[in-house]
This record gives sequence, structure tokens and C-alpha cells, in this order.
Amino acid sequence: MAAMMPSASTSSGNPYDDDAVERDLIDPDDATLDDLDDPLQGTSDRAPLTGNISARSGAANTQSYLTSSIPGEDRRAPTNTIDETVWETLSRDLLAIWEKMKQVLYPKYLLGGMMQQGGGIGAAERGDADGLGGSIRNIAGRWPDADALLQSGMSEGLRDWDLWGPLIFCLLLSLFLSWGAGGKQKDLVFSGVFAMVWIGEAVVTLQIKLLGGNMCVQSQARTAKMLTLLSAFFQSISIIGYTLFPLVIAALLSAIGIPIIVRVPVYLVLIAWSLAAGVSIMGGSGVVRNRVGIAVYPLFVFYIALGCLCFIS
Amino acid sequence: MANRGYDVVVDVDQEGDLGHTDLQEDLEFHSSRRKHFLWTLSFYAQAFDVDTNEVLRRCQAAIFPRANFLDVLEGNPDLYGPVWIATTVVVILFLTGTINQYLASKGVGKFEYDFKLLSGAAGLVYGYTAFVPVGLWAVLKWYGSESANLLECACLYGYANLVWIVVALVSWSPVSILNYVFVALGLAFSAFFLLRNLYPVLSTTEAKTSKILLVVVLALHAGFAIAIKVLFFASTSPIGNPKGGEDKGDGKGDMMMMSR
Repeated sequence: MAAMMPSASTSSGNPYDDDAVERDLIDPDDATLDDLDDPLQGTSDRAPLTGNISARSGAANTQSYLTSSIPGEDRRAPTNTIDETVWETLSRDLLAIWEKMKQVLYPKYLLGGMMQQGGGIGAAERGDADGLGGSIRNIAGRWPDADALLQSGMSEGLRDWDLWGPLIFCLLLSLFLSWGAGGKQKDLVFSGVFAMVWIGEAVVTLQIKLLGGNMCVQSQARTAKMLTLLSAFFQSISIIGYTLFPLVIAALLSAIGIPIIVRVPVYLVLIAWSLAAGVSIMGGSGVVRNRVGIAVYPLFVFYIALGCLCFIS
Repeated sequence: MANRGYDVVVDVDQEGDLGHTDLQEDLEFHSSRRKHFLWTLSFYAQAFDVDTNEVLRRCQAAIFPRANFLDVLEGNPDLYGPVWIATTVVVILFLTGTINQYLASKGVGKFEYDFKLLSGAAGLVYGYTAFVPVGLWAVLKWYGSESANLLECACLYGYANLVWIVVALVSWSPVSILNYVFVALGLAFSAFFLLRNLYPVLSTTEAKTSKILLVVVLALHAGFAIAIKVLFFASTSPIGNPKGGEDKGDGKGDMMMMSR
């Protein structure tokens, strides 16, 4: 920059570059008719333009195909969907839900933690444990490491929360359980389970936030802080809602009416699956290492309660 | 915890001495030392300032009481225990109560569980654990007790619920005499726990008031235990008509609330 400045100032007194001015001038004597733009033909002009737009929108599309935001109404939406069929729109939304479900319900950090020899939540919280605590920890010894859990964070897809999964699974769960219930208390069971699921999700999330402590990002403005908080809140509600899927299976099995002997092991596995998937909210929630146990416990109670309802109905 | 220490920015001046030391304003080393407002989340986070070992230690101290429980708390009463112990009690009471009814009604036909048992359990346990400590604290304040602390009262009642988990776990059987014995044991144990820890607080009032308060606390606790027995493990008396037993139990719970 410093080297260029003197040369520019010494070459000529005037600020205009003579060559550039020369090039921009249209000289009709030199030009043939082909050089000028034909407004009727126009292909040479328009082809790169459309190519450019479609390339950009395609890139944006692959980047955030998990969102179910409505294109055309949401400014984050990449494409205009006014031309596509209803089925395309619907299937994109369904695909987004399915993708999220796959990510939630495949607890990869858990399997990873098991492979690296365990150690577990219990080992992370080692200390002056004796008696009651020690025995519990030995049982929990095969659990994934608390550090791995806390560091795992959330994958990018999960940050785009939606409440479709929670709504669908909550409705299905209530429906199946009310099928299984006796004639008189069908409506009671439906409303009761529906309320229990939503209140439970809210309370469990709130509990994690209360134990977390890093919810107050200090340097942010008040409204921004509020937004972050709300978004994190709904994000974890969304995840818990998606993890209800194994319990929906359990409720369906109950509604069909499989024998009690079969129920016990199957339901235990399903509850464990839900819990393993649900633990993924811990990542990035700011829960401190030695509080992982008490942060997971409410989740455990929540799934056990729903599992019991499935079991006895 | 390693990254949660002090954040200190030190300016070194031209002369080499330490300039001003800029301590970051809001360090979170112990959140209870700072002033929080009622509508912020951090205000409530103060009541949940425990970790896993601490909660386990408190549970252990509640089941095997060696020292005074208020000493175990070390001036940092939590609400985590009361909330989640109560929730666990609700779930387990519902489950074992249903198993109890199922075993008692074997052979009558297709068994149908009673969803009202769950709402009844929630109302009874949450109601007792929430309102009685508040009432006790208010009364103590009214009589000018200095040492009454709302959180400590709630914490005491919350951890006293721990014994009902054990009771509920063992009394799923339809054998009536066993259930009576278990519930009576649970009542005796938790009443002993409550009285032992409440006595120093209660005795700061006048002798007469403290005696009345003691009796009221005991009576309420006995009412709670009887309500549990009648609501959940009443396989004998109202089993022909589970709905009747249910209503009676609920009425008892309500009466208990009123009598406070």
C-alpha cells in the first residue's frame, strides 16, 4: 500500500486513470453490430446469472436441509417453493424430522464411551465415596465418562430444534396409553399423560439449567441473553421429545397387549435406550462435571415414570 | 472445575510494576454470596448448589442419622433433594400401589389400573412436602423464632420423605398386616428423624407453644402416613370398590391440608 501510493500520485496530477477512461468510452466506429447487446436474444447475458443463483441456493440447501422452516416466509430459507408439489414440501419436513430422530436416537457417544474401557460417570465423580455411594457407583461403572459426555456437545443438526417430534410422540404416547386404559378413564389418561409429558420435559430442562450455572452469559445484552436461554430451553425440550420414541414403542406394545413376562425385559431395554439418548442434552448444557449424576437423575425418573405407565396399562 | 477459577487481567506498566489489577466483576465461585433477584434463574440456582457426592451424603445422613441433620447441611440447604425425592416417592407409590391392587384383585377379570392413584400420590406428597414446611416456618416466625429458616425446613421434610421410598418398595404385597407394620415403621422412623432435628428449632419458642407445635407436627405426619396406607396399600378394606377407597383417601388428604 505504501509503495503504491507515491507512484499513483506522481504518475499524473489528475486522479483518473487515462487507460480506464479510454476503455470505457464507446467508440461506435470500431464496434460491429455483434458486439452490442441484443435485447431480444439475451442468452449470453442471462445464462451465468441463473447458474449463479442455482449454485448458491443449492449450497445453502445442502447445508441446512434439516430445517423445516418454510421457504418464502422465512428469510433463512434457501429456495422458493412456490413451484414444487405439496408432496415435496411435506417430504422435506418429514425428512427433517426423520434425520433429527436418527441423530437423537443413535446415542453414539454412549457406544464410544463403552468402547474406551468405561470408567464411567462414577469414576469421574470419584472422591471420598464410601458406603451407599460407592456401591451405586460400582453399578454405574460401565457408564460413559462424564467428560466425554460433557465435551460431546450437540451436533449441528440438533441446534435447529423443532417441536414436531415432541408433539407427535407425545400425542402417540397419550393415544396408545389411553387405548390401553379402562373405559371410564380413557380421557383422564389421555389428558394426564399429555400434561405429564410436557410438564416433565419442562421441569427436567429447568432442573438441568438450574444445575448448569453457565446460563448467564455475562457479556451479552439482556435481550440476547433471554433469547439464548429460550432457545436452549426449547432445544432440550425438543431432544427429550424425540427420545420419547422408544417409549412410544412400549406404549404400542402395551396397547396390543403382550404378556407381562415379555414386558419386563423389553421395557427395561426401551427405557434404557430412551435414557441413553436423552443424556445427550447434557452436552453443552454447562453442567459441571461432578453434577452429571444429579442432572441425569430427573431424566431417569421421568422415563421410569412413563415406562411404569406403559408397563401397567 | 479447572477453567472456572479467577480471571485476572494484569497490566504491566512501562516501569515494570503491576498497574491496576482488573478483577472480573462476576465470578461464580459461590453463587450464594452474590445478590440475586427473585425473577432471575440464578436466584433459584442458589437452592440447587449441590453436587452428586453432597446429595448422596445427605441421603445417607437421612437414612442413618448420626449427627443432627441441620449440621449435615452445613448452612447450605438445597431444594434438589426435596423436589426429586418427592417425585421418586410419587412414582414408586403409584407403581407399588398398583401392583398391590393387581395382586389383590387377581382373578376378578381384566385388571385396570387407576390413573387417579398417580394424581392422588402427586397431590398428597407434593402438597405435604411443600405446604407443611411453609406453614411451620410461618408459625415459627410468628412466634418470633430467630433460627427458623424456610429452606432448612423444606430440606428437612424433603429428606425425611426418603424413608417412604423404602417403605413403598417393600410393601407391594397384598398381605395387610405386613403393610401395617411397614408403614408404622416408616412413620416411626421419619417422625423420629423430624422430631430430633426440629426440636432445637422448636424449643427456641416458649415452652407451651413448642409443645403444641411438636404435637401438631407429629399429628400431621401421622396423618400423612395413614393417608399413604389408605390410599396405596389398602388391598383389604376398599378393594371391592377401589373407587370408594380412593375417595376416602383423597378426603383424608384434603382434611389434612385443612387442619394445618
